[in-house]
Amino acid sequence: MTAFRRLLSVLLLALMLPSLTMAQTDDRAAFAYQRWYALVLELVRHTPTYTPPVASRAFAYVSIAAYEAVASGNTDLRTLAGQLHGLEPLPARDPAAIYDEAIVIQAAMADSASFFFSNTGPTGQRAMTAMKADLTERTSAGVDPETGARSAAFGKAIADHIIAWSMDDGGATIVNMGFPLDYPAATKPFEWVPTSAIRQQQMPLLPEWGTNRPFAMPQDACPLPPPPAYSEEVGSQFRIEAQEVHDVPGQLTDEQKLIARFWSDDPMLSPTPPGHWVTIALDQLALEDAPLDRQVEVLAKLGITVADAFIANWKMKYEYDLLRPVTYIRRVLDDKWSPLLITPPFPEYPSGHSTQSGAAATVLTALFGENHAFTDTTHEDDGLPARDFPDFWAAANEAGISRLYGGIHFRSAIDLGLDQGRCVGDFTNALVTRS
Amino acid sequence: MRKLLLIAAFLAASPLHAQTPIPTFTEETATSGIESSFMGDWEYMVGGGVATFDCNGDGFEDVLTAGGTAQASFFVNTSTAGGPLTFVRQTSGLEIEAVSGTYPLDIDSDGNIDIVLLRVGENMVMRGLGNCQFERANEAWGFDGGDAWSASFSATWEHGQKWPTIAIGNYIDRMQDEFPWGSCTDNWLHRPNADSSGFAPPLPLTPSYCALSILFTDWDRSGTPSLRVSNDREYYKGGQEQMWHLAPGEPPVLLKDTDGWARLRIWGMGIASNDLNGDGFPEYFLTSMADSKLQTLAAPPADGTPARPAYSDVAFAKGVTAHRPYIGDEIQPSTGWHAQFEDVNNDGLADLFVAKGNVDKMPDFALHDPNNLLLQNPDGTFTETGDKASVASMMISRGAALADFNLDGRLDLIVTNRRTPAQVWRNTGPLDGHWIGVRIHQEGPNPDAIGGWLELKRGETVTRREITSGGGHASGQLGWLHMGLGNATEAQVRIIWPDGTEGPWEQVAPDHFYLVSPGAPPRSWTPG
Repeated sequence: MTAFRRLLSVLLLALMLPSLTMAQTDDRAAFAYQRWYALVLELVRHTPTYTPPVASRAFAYVSIAAYEAVASGNTDLRTLAGQLHGLEPLPARDPAAIYDEAIVIQAAMADSASFFFSNTGPTGQRAMTAMKADLTERTSAGVDPETGARSAAFGKAIADHIIAWSMDDGGATIVNMGFPLDYPAATKPFEWVPTSAIRQQQMPLLPEWGTNRPFAMPQDACPLPPPPAYSEEVGSQFRIEAQEVHDVPGQLTDEQKLIARFWSDDPMLSPTPPGHWVTIALDQLALEDAPLDRQVEVLAKLGITVADAFIANWKMKYEYDLLRPVTYIRRVLDDKWSPLLITPPFPEYPSGHSTQSGAAATVLTALFGENHAFTDTTHEDDGLPARDFPDFWAAANEAGISRLYGGIHFRSAIDLGLDQGRCVGDFTNALVTRS
Repeated sequence: MRKLLLIAAFLAASPLHAQTPIPTFTEETATSGIESSFMGDWEYMVGGGVATFDCNGDGFEDVLTAGGTAQASFFVNTSTAGGPLTFVRQTSGLEIEAVSGTYPLDIDSDGNIDIVLLRVGENMVMRGLGNCQFERANEAWGFDGGDAWSASFSATWEHGQKWPTIAIGNYIDRMQDEFPWGSCTDNWLHRPNADSSGFAPPLPLTPSYCALSILFTDWDRSGTPSLRVSNDREYYKGGQEQMWHLAPGEPPVLLKDTDGWARLRIWGMGIASNDLNGDGFPEYFLTSMADSKLQTLAAPPADGTPARPAYSDVAFAKGVTAHRPYIGDEIQPSTGWHAQFEDVNNDGLADLFVAKGNVDKMPDFALHDPNNLLLQNPDGTFTETGDKASVASMMISRGAALADFNLDGRLDLIVTNRRTPAQVWRNTGPLDGHWIGVRIHQEGPNPDAIGGWLELKRGETVTRREITSGGGHASGQLGWLHMGLGNATEAQVRIIWPDGTEGPWEQVAPDHFYLVSPGAPPRSWTPG
């Protein structure tokens, strides 16, 4: 059982006590918040449109809604309005009125999760309905009805403000699971071409995602130099890197194969790469028994930086439009070669997981400190054992190299992807969240 | 960044070959007498099957439809040979609620077809009493129906057994509301009891991953069918598609990567099988959301050595991905359910029907999703003709059956729909190709020769179909086996019986029905 789930169990027991104290109000609020996050992690996995970029956007907006809901009643936290692109000042509380923090966060999470996962299937809809009913009842128990109604309305107003802000960022509408119906055919040998026999994936995923409005970083921030020039010449840097990928399958240890699978984070079969880092953060917050203001701060910053990472990364992917290793290797080196992992259906450079992991490590290191050792339990439910890391960058570096083990990225895409993530993370770390 | 130049080649559908005739289906729902809708909410988002079988011995196949929260409905076939499709609702004892899937099978081998009802709740085996009357037989046959969300079925007779082995695939733990993911409940294997008087307590097929279609099939032609399981990745964790090897008297063994089984994770919803490429080994079509799969053995052995269960996906190459609506203005991907290979245009090539329909207002998938009728061309590719053949229903379809309801040598169609009435189409041709219909019968256990093979020879061309019970989506058939002959004016058939005995090649005349039994030449049969 993950630390996050253990904490949920403890909080559930605490909520069974008969009267409300301040500490219990905090527990109620934390419980509601964490239950919704647990559900969001499932919804990301089970909503087919939620490929990693789309998932990162949903995590960001839901986390910001929660952050602002808490920050509106907490003098230690500063609003992100004016700091995030296009985010106008949010609704303010009536200073003369009383609000119940648990009901505020419950309403904000229920409203924002319901919106950002409105396209999930009937099971997800059923789960959200059940959770909303359950948590509304739990958080309202023992609260003056007038206060409860005011708090719920305010939480919803916060979420509605975030939802309205999200609508024109460029990522609000996804059709055909993000695969365009038309796309220019490759005309140069270095350009990406489809790598699978899946009809839907003959077009690359979300080619316009890099033009979305970012959250904390400037538009088009964190550009990268071009990858090594395409070449089939023996001794060229490109061919050397391709040869390295080619040689990997025959040299992998069991541990390296496990690493490839651990960070595979396939959409619709896992919480996706963004959800992987959210799971890591939730576990660390549970272990330190973090107060709610700390939880919303950590998850908002993580959500923002990972979403920005995908925007920056996708911008470069379609700027350089590089073919995948499997294409080059079969064309030049070995027509029978196959990678360990399924090659994702979009250009290679830079590695998306590397960029977002670099960004996540940059932000989490700032929030939890250097040398923060932790255990990553993300995939225990899927039968993959937990992994221990001495710090967040060790995990990010492993996420990066896993793509080489998996045979889906060249080394340059990994190294420079991690660099790009560091750049993105620095913009997030510059946000001012504490007074 | 690239300059605009469309990848038109990838979008082009396989062209219809000039020699591939398109049948015309005429919808006769309004006059058919079939009135049935698959009703219910979340617990009935899957299922919705239809069974076709002849329970009154007149040769015309009768129909049972699952009703979900409504009662299942039985309709006796009152059609005349070559005439319009007509049915009459009749009380049969099958009028039971919470039925999601229906499969016919002569469980006790008494010559009366029995019915397995997959239910949200306790599954039921219904003993056929003759003349289309049925009674519950769970207690009499020792069948533990359990209490689950059952969604898939298959049956076989293991070697030496007088009683069938029934596999039932189960879905989500329906009691989980906030976190149902990862709650797939165990599938069950109901093997015969020790004295062959009924069933032993069910054996859990652990691990189970929310099976929506299962099929006993002799994938490697070893003579011992394995259980192919297609699972819905929406709900499992750590799961994949599965194949269980069942050696007689031994516990089931799950095939692994070391056996050659490659991990595949799809929204598996339906299985259809047919030896499309004539190598003797079945291909498997797997319905899913977006791309469907067509699996063919990656290295079929030609020298009698054992086959390895490694499959290549050739759906794209053959034109059967069926990933998106082919008519209408929707660009979201499709959702596929029941699938069935049959030769609907009698050209001698198996075609493919796929029932389509949104799970339940999922905006990421097509809400108006036409059913597919993919005709096979002589080169092995398929061409979409659902609209041209007039079966491109936009209802939310689930189960289906292609069957020759009016015994005119042309396969008709019934499709069940979620929350709206089932639809019925008569195949009105015109078709120039010839055909035969075959009913197989053997004395003793397994009278319908489940696990055998029907082979048809036209000149040097041999086509074959495995005689199975199960698969599809919640829908089963037990009746005439239809084989198109194309322009061949003579043909031979033979049966490879479930025990491996190869019957002799027997001459048959085109455009006739035949009854085939061991040790006797095929007997021609005429309706009426």
